[in-house]
Amino acid sequence: MMNSGLDFVDLLRQTGYRFPTNSMAVSHPSTGQALPFHPTEGTTILAMRYRDGVLVAGDRRATAGNMVLYDRADKVINLDAYSVMAISGSPAIAFEIARILEHSFQYYRRRQLQEMSLSAKLRRLSMLIKDNLPMAMQGIGAVIPIFATFDRAEGCGKIYFYDALGAQFESTDFTTTGSGSPSIRGTMYYLNRWGGQRFADLDRDAAVGLSLRLLDTASEYDSATGRYEKAADIFPSVKTITASGLEEIKTEQLRQLYGQYVNGEEDVAS
Amino acid sequence: MMLSDEPYRWAEVISNRRDYIEDQIRAGSPVVGVGYEDGVLLVTLGRGQQKLFEIYDRIALAAIGHSTDIEKMRQGALDMAHTIGFGYSEDDVTLRQIVYFGLGPAVKAGFDDIVRSPFLARVLLAEIDGHEGAQIFYTVDYDGAFFRSDGFAVVGGIPEADQVMMRVLDGCNTQTLSLTEALNVALKAWAMGRWVGLMENIPEKEELDRLAADIKAEDVLKRELQNLDVEAVVLQRSCVGKPKYRPLTSDEIAPALSVYQTD
Repeated sequence: MMNSGLDFVDLLRQTGYRFPTNSMAVSHPSTGQALPFHPTEGTTILAMRYRDGVLVAGDRRATAGNMVLYDRADKVINLDAYSVMAISGSPAIAFEIARILEHSFQYYRRRQLQEMSLSAKLRRLSMLIKDNLPMAMQGIGAVIPIFATFDRAEGCGKIYFYDALGAQFESTDFTTTGSGSPSIRGTMYYLNRWGGQRFADLDRDAAVGLSLRLLDTASEYDSATGRYEKAADIFPSVKTITASGLEEIKTEQLRQLYGQYVNGEEDVAS
Repeated sequence: MMLSDEPYRWAEVISNRRDYIEDQIRAGSPVVGVGYEDGVLLVTLGRGQQKLFEIYDRIALAAIGHSTDIEKMRQGALDMAHTIGFGYSEDDVTLRQIVYFGLGPAVKAGFDDIVRSPFLARVLLAEIDGHEGAQIFYTVDYDGAFFRSDGFAVVGGIPEADQVMMRVLDGCNTQTLSLTEALNVALKAWAMGRWVGLMENIPEKEELDRLAADIKAEDVLKRELQNLDVEAVVLQRSCVGKPKYRPLTSDEIAPALSVYQTD
């Protein structure tokens, strides 16, 4: 019943858990050729540092090929009280990675009697992405997350993004990934530099409003990115992380800010 | 000749083992668990070494005994809870399974293996809002026997200490106690357990009851608080997020201590 290692992933391996590897390759049993397969994928996520901390937002659409699979996907996943992982790419692997991380952080805190350091959290995520390389190489399970957190030691929000191999980069102001990101990356750079107010100086409402505008822009040019679904009343997911922790922006607030910033009216009709 | 061939010697060995363990842990600092309006509270006194631990979102552990043995049991409980929580779901992690299938059998195996050192510890586990109820406690004894109780529970170094402590808590309405009220009654229970644990010789039950009636828990606390600090944690229903475990701050503990720190 004892685990000699310190790490939750080691514990999982001891109990017989196997992270997806190339043994999951989808190929014809006799010819070995890859079978036609459209993996489920998620789309546009973005993160920015604003006045109080960091904001992370994502649209809600999941697609498989040119089919819209789901319009309520939540791609901004809570890992603990101060960190989130936002995902584009394969949600199946991404949710598994998020689940492992969430348990790893908790397990570490409870076992070691101290919070896992920020650099260790980044390292754990990086290792899991690297473990997923065989799936990414086959083009069916790449996960390219954004990790956002509030660094309580330094008193500021932090944003990290990754490539499919697990390399980790810190972005100073903002980042965006996913299929809709090319449509807004330049816009974000432009706005942050010449838009009159740097993202870092925006208050919360302005930052949320801006993120809704950007996601709307991405959905205009990327079919895999969803926008506000009027029929079902589904807004993008927007979360902030500040010194007082993680907060999910409620639908009512999103409705008001969507009306104000996206539709240019005081309140969006519900 | 094998010990098991000789029933008398077997019984003697086990009896000696009990005496040895109780002797080792009886002077330790007891632990008290008591429900309050927003969850459960665990309290002990010590010299700064942590004795109260988070196991899972709604489960906490406290113990009296050898710190390394407590650590082994804590890690076993942690591993089990997290493996189940990951493979099934957070809601599937229950204190019952940790005790029935994890700690109970492991401690019993350690106690029965007479060529090895047993677990020198008695453990108290608490769970809020689980399948069995809102304020559930289990105690796991050094021989692997476990007991469930609702509302409150204690572990002292010896069974006599438990009895005296439980008498302090009997009749508490643990659904309505405020945090400070729960702290007050828990500290009094702790003091009585401490008093029993430090006795040279433990008298028969009637005599112990008679002596206990003359002891003021306040006096014991006043004395002990000169050398020891209060450690208290809660599993607090109103905590935001999934983990409900939270150590109390010294500001939260202070109101319950002011009466004992007159000088």
